[in-house]
Amino acid sequence: MTVKDLAASAALEEFAHLDEQSKREIRSALLTAVAVPGYQVPFASREMPVARGWGSGGLQVTLALIGPDDTVKVIDQGDDAGVNAANLRRLIVASSGAADTTDAREASIVQTRHRIPEDPLGPDQVLVLQVPVPEPLRGVERDMRELRRMHAEADYSAIWLSLYEDLVRNGVITQSTGYPVLVGGRYVMATSPVPRWDVPKLHQAEFLSLFGAGREKRVYAVPPYTDVEPLAFEDVAFEVERTEGASCLLCGAVDAYLVEVPASQGWICSDTDWCARRRPDEPPDGTAGRQLVSEGPEVADARV
Amino acid sequence: MGYAAARGGLDAILAAEELMRAKRDGGSSPPLGIEQVTERLNLAVDRVMGEAALWAPQLAAVALRQAEGDLIEAAHLLRAYRSTRPRLVPALPVHADELEILRRIVPAYRVPPGPQLLGRTLDYVGRLLDVGAAPTAPARTVPAPAEPEASGARADGDTRRPGRLLDLLRSQGMVRDRRRGDDPEPHDVTKDPVRPGAPRSARLSIMARAETGALVNLWYRNILGPDGYIHEVTLGEVRHGRLPVRVTHPVTGQPVSIGSVRVTEVEAIEDLDGADEERGLFDVGYGLCLGHNERKAIAMANLDIAVERDGGRSPLEQSVLMTTDGLDASGFLEHLKLPHYVTFRSMVDRKAAIRAAARQRAADVKQ
Repeated sequence: MTVKDLAASAALEEFAHLDEQSKREIRSALLTAVAVPGYQVPFASREMPVARGWGSGGLQVTLALIGPDDTVKVIDQGDDAGVNAANLRRLIVASSGAADTTDAREASIVQTRHRIPEDPLGPDQVLVLQVPVPEPLRGVERDMRELRRMHAEADYSAIWLSLYEDLVRNGVITQSTGYPVLVGGRYVMATSPVPRWDVPKLHQAEFLSLFGAGREKRVYAVPPYTDVEPLAFEDVAFEVERTEGASCLLCGAVDAYLVEVPASQGWICSDTDWCARRRPDEPPDGTAGRQLVSEGPEVADARV
Repeated sequence: MGYAAARGGLDAILAAEELMRAKRDGGSSPPLGIEQVTERLNLAVDRVMGEAALWAPQLAAVALRQAEGDLIEAAHLLRAYRSTRPRLVPALPVHADELEILRRIVPAYRVPPGPQLLGRTLDYVGRLLDVGAAPTAPARTVPAPAEPEASGARADGDTRRPGRLLDLLRSQGMVRDRRRGDDPEPHDVTKDPVRPGAPRSARLSIMARAETGALVNLWYRNILGPDGYIHEVTLGEVRHGRLPVRVTHPVTGQPVSIGSVRVTEVEAIEDLDGADEERGLFDVGYGLCLGHNERKAIAMANLDIAVERDGGRSPLEQSVLMTTDGLDASGFLEHLKLPHYVTFRSMVDRKAAIRAAARQRAADVKQ
């Protein structure tokens, strides 16, 4: 090989954006993560074309896994049309040639921020979760050396104590999203943050879940058929989000994660594609939902 | 189906891109040439290269132009570009004594070994806003100092590569000797993420890439802020100059110089005054970053020795390692603009649950 050859190879556009060496490093970290469920594996997080905190970790995981035959679904808050989901999707699709879909049942890889789809995922599917804060114990300990010790020794007394104090002071456990779970009976893990509604979907799941925290340079995993137990007391049940009498204004769903629409004094499904499929008579472009939630002029029409 | 339902978000971001492009590339003035940026805004170019950790003046200028002058954004563009490039060859280590100085000051002595070379600096230029006519190339009133050639030709003999104050102090046995024979390969922070308890090479790499303002702020926090105290050091060296870049020739196996980079280098002499320290000695903190950025290199050198002296007793090392990267901090800050309605709904749910529990308790007490 000559210097010229080297320079020429360097000039090529890489498949799936990252160079092969970077992808190998990420895959290697992911294999460690799968082998040690719930353990945060450090990885050499690359600078991506999206900012840190905007899904750069999930994006690296997806790009390390994806092949041209994959079909990818990308959601933010459960919505395929969210602007950041749209941006991540076009990066993934343009650099890999993979197909995209909004139907969770058709996707081989689902990259998501803050939700797990309502459709049950199967053994041929991989869920990639974007993670802002991978450390479940940060609320009870700030020092990183001490945090390492606590995980290494499975010393989780501080977080149990904080849950107990929470219960005593407030009458309920007040943790909203990112609820801490014990994975495989060993590591306490932060759940992304997805709502508590989605946490039970991880327990003994048929699918593989990969968590990518780009800014904090950690990946972790829940392999299929792994125990994922929310930290809760025997006599105080783990509670998911529920509002008495709430149902989706669009599809009527009661048994789904609903988000409030104050202007309409009602609720709609956060999983927009699942919701749209329950309304087959409407155009499948999501416009019904958008009209309901939009306030003021469409973003696309804004002019300065 | 599939694509149609996801179209709304894509249309919006395409429109936003178009608005960005229209303002940046439109307007009535001529487009900004890359040479204009590298020449007229050279300090901004240096800063972007330093925070991106990539020596590439032309690319940094392109990034600055594309980012409309936003330095963090430009550093992001450059780093994201860098992460798509394979690493062909690691450069060979060069000794900082090879630095060919364009500027050197030694505040610790009036007449130090080697020259005090003021060089190019705004330090003593009055900060008077020049609202007169557009600047033109000045008529020379003082002869321009011969800038040394990048090739390494020595214009003034050894005065362009003077010894350093540290050598003098070392020869007097005045400095704690922290040199080590088992020197491992430098920790590559872009390959192995760092955690507290990191080797010094990792700490220095992190700070070399850090955002200038973050380092300055962290330093000042520990001077005047509530959470710590670090010394004001005495600067032994403040240098700006060129360092050669050498690689092993693929055919001959010999080291070959393939260019040079400009760096700012600072040595901070620290008075060891702690009860359990060697009071009869000084210690030294080190700062080196790409480009001409003295603010950054001084903060870096001061924080380097502060972390060393702290020895993991306070959160200072974690602050240096984990909180000074401009891209990390800015990206995470700005992510707050992303939709958070799924998480917010979950919070509202808990607020309702807490209030219901409180009502239940009150009712229980009444009975």
